Amino acid sequence: MSDPREAARDASLSALGTRPPFYRDATVVRWIAQVGTLILVLAAMWFLATEAGDSLRARGANIDFDFISDYIGIQVGSGIDTNPDSGGRALWVGMVNTIRMAAAGIALASVIGVLVGLARLSSNWPLRRLAGVYVEALRNIPLLVQILVYAAVLATLPNVSFGMGPISGWIHVSNKGLSIPRVFVADGFYQWAVIMLIGAVVARITYRRLAEQREQTGAQTNAGAWATGIVAVFAIVGWWVHPIFGWLGSPLGSLADGVGAIPQGVVQLIAALAALAVAVWWIRRFLAQHRTPAGLTRLTDDDWFRMIFAVVAAAIVVLFVTVLWPGLSSWVVNSSSDGLGVLADKFGNGRTGPPIDAMRPDIVQPGNFANYGPAGLNLSIGFAAVYFGVVFYTAAFIAEIVRGGILAVPKGQSEAAQAVGLRRSTALRRVILPQALRVILPPVGNQYLNLTKNTSLAIAVGYSDLVQIGQTVYNQTGKTLQVMAVWMLFYLACSLTISAVVNFFNIRMRIVER
Amino acid sequence: MSTQPAHGDATIAVSDELAARDDMIVCREVDKWFGDFQALSGISATIKEQEIVVVLGPSGSGKSTWIRCINRLEAHQSGQIIVDGIELTNDLRNIEKIRSEVGMVFQQFNLFPHLTVLDNITLAPIWVRKKSRPEAEELAESLLERVGIPEQAQKFPGQLSGGQQQRVAIARALAMEPRVMLFDEPTSALDPEMIKEVLDVMEELARSGMTMMVVTHEMGFAREVADRIIFMEEGEIVEVGTPHHFFTEPAEERTKLFLSQVL
Repeated sequence: MSDPREAARDASLSALGTRPPFYRDATVVRWIAQVGTLILVLAAMWFLATEAGDSLRARGANIDFDFISDYIGIQVGSGIDTNPDSGGRALWVGMVNTIRMAAAGIALASVIGVLVGLARLSSNWPLRRLAGVYVEALRNIPLLVQILVYAAVLATLPNVSFGMGPISGWIHVSNKGLSIPRVFVADGFYQWAVIMLIGAVVARITYRRLAEQREQTGAQTNAGAWATGIVAVFAIVGWWVHPIFGWLGSPLGSLADGVGAIPQGVVQLIAALAALAVAVWWIRRFLAQHRTPAGLTRLTDDDWFRMIFAVVAAAIVVLFVTVLWPGLSSWVVNSSSDGLGVLADKFGNGRTGPPIDAMRPDIVQPGNFANYGPAGLNLSIGFAAVYFGVVFYTAAFIAEIVRGGILAVPKGQSEAAQAVGLRRSTALRRVILPQALRVILPPVGNQYLNLTKNTSLAIAVGYSDLVQIGQTVYNQTGKTLQVMAVWMLFYLACSLTISAVVNFFNIRMRIVER
Repeated sequence: MSTQPAHGDATIAVSDELAARDDMIVCREVDKWFGDFQALSGISATIKEQEIVVVLGPSGSGKSTWIRCINRLEAHQSGQIIVDGIELTNDLRNIEKIRSEVGMVFQQFNLFPHLTVLDNITLAPIWVRKKSRPEAEELAESLLERVGIPEQAQKFPGQLSGGQQQRVAIARALAMEPRVMLFDEPTSALDPEMIKEVLDVMEELARSGMTMMVVTHEMGFAREVADRIIFMEEGEIVEVGTPHHFFTEPAEERTKLFLSQVL
């Protein structure tokens, strides 16, 4: 009986079926550790934030965002508004410029990248080598150097000159950039949009019906062609008959008044209830997913945290709309009422002109030098330099990713495609690329993020992107920290948006396995 | 019924005309090198219409290389390969024509994992034969019926067992309505209990009058189904004969050695 192991065995036998003390219970210990971590992190963040606020206040630095709405008297080189009436407007112009540059850059870089990547795998020797040289040269020269070189080369173009210019004045090229006709939304656009909306619905119904007919009879019904044709007919006829929807102005106007009359309390109540309903719905759905015929499956800590966060998030929303910022509700009511009112003004009142119009570029001479006026769509040399810089640079990386993705598809796939008689191009489009895309997409998403962030190099050639304008704004107002906060939030939002889009496609691309 | 040993030049009668009317595949003195390594040397053989030929031989004997040369997945360097009266040369049009007449089934199935079973089968009929989708789908469904898995049409290859995948691969090859079917070790990647379901499909195909060339290690299949057996070693054809001749009274020492190891 003196054997300690025997004794331990007796002890554990007598303890069968009893719960261990809480400090030895795995579930309890885990939860204490996790909640403890959470509290520590939140406390640290709170401490840092209050410390930073205190020290800023002690130095007398003001951290208000007044410049967003105040007039700060700066001019912007190019963009949707060259004389912004507030700091916020100026930054907005910069954001639009950055988004434009990034979106157009992503589109062109993708096309060039895929083509160069394919060329690197081509059996055509000169093409393959040329693509190799492109990739090696462009990705090994710093992007900033490339942008400066493009800017220097483009600056050698001739000065702006008066006169009609090429194609009777539709296009001008000079060392000030490129000026092309501006296409803009004109008088009857919203009335026309209503007609287009109806056309889209009709086309959709027709398409469904024809597709169904084809499914059943196997006859060619050309559903796609019909749908396109219907939209085209609505667009063309609508071009002239859109004033028939002018009457929509008054119902929209009364809708705006109706929305404006909703009391603040009602909106708060609806928002709070909606938040709670979403939380309840989400938790029910979550539990339903974990239900098997044998009952609820074991929930992990992660699952519990998710459900708790759903409740906490709902509670925060309720608190926010009722206590923390009650004005939000009336702001929502007023701005939707204003929005509807603006929309109502777009209808009727003799709006009989074309829905979309275009203007030829104009040339003005305010001072010593001629320049492009506001009539045309002007793309400056700075824009071109940054644009070509980020596009060619990113395309080189995308090309390598595309090449790698295609090489990652097993050789048996292209052999099988050849063996059933597919041509190389068909095999590439239908068999190889769809599979390569799974490998290509995540790293290409990273390149899209890089491209977007690299547009901030525009500051080197004076193109008015968000960073360049932001710098002007804080030089003028001294609100450095605030501007930087806006920068960071903006780039973060852009990056998260791109990530979300890429992830969405990534999930859709996933190959189904058992 | 001929039991001619095919080894050596003297015993092979190479006719002067290109190929007889019912010759489906004609190979003459086909050589193939991978760098310094000679994978095929002087392969000469004729496969008649509706004939079932099984190619046997140890690993690395050039069986797969030969069968892959016949639809130009590998290019031979000298000699002639004539399929259904079309010579396989660098002429792209001939290659295309032969590939659409020759179906191929691979050891690793090589189904397209991103397409459903139905789309795997209809891809080539739609893009190469220019069939309409309903027409191609009808064909695909009848082929899936034929290989015994009509209920799997909407699944993806990754959701099927190996045997089912290989049967889909056979259906995919048949969808091009080929004149010849090449099988490159079709059962080597399968679990034992799935081999039979694939072999059953192949036997049914053989009975329907398809010309078939099969590289395999399934001695039972060779014995039961083959009209002729070609034994290869080190890139050469060692012996050609009926299954009866081959399994009971092989002429060559190397054949005897091989049989003693596999049987």
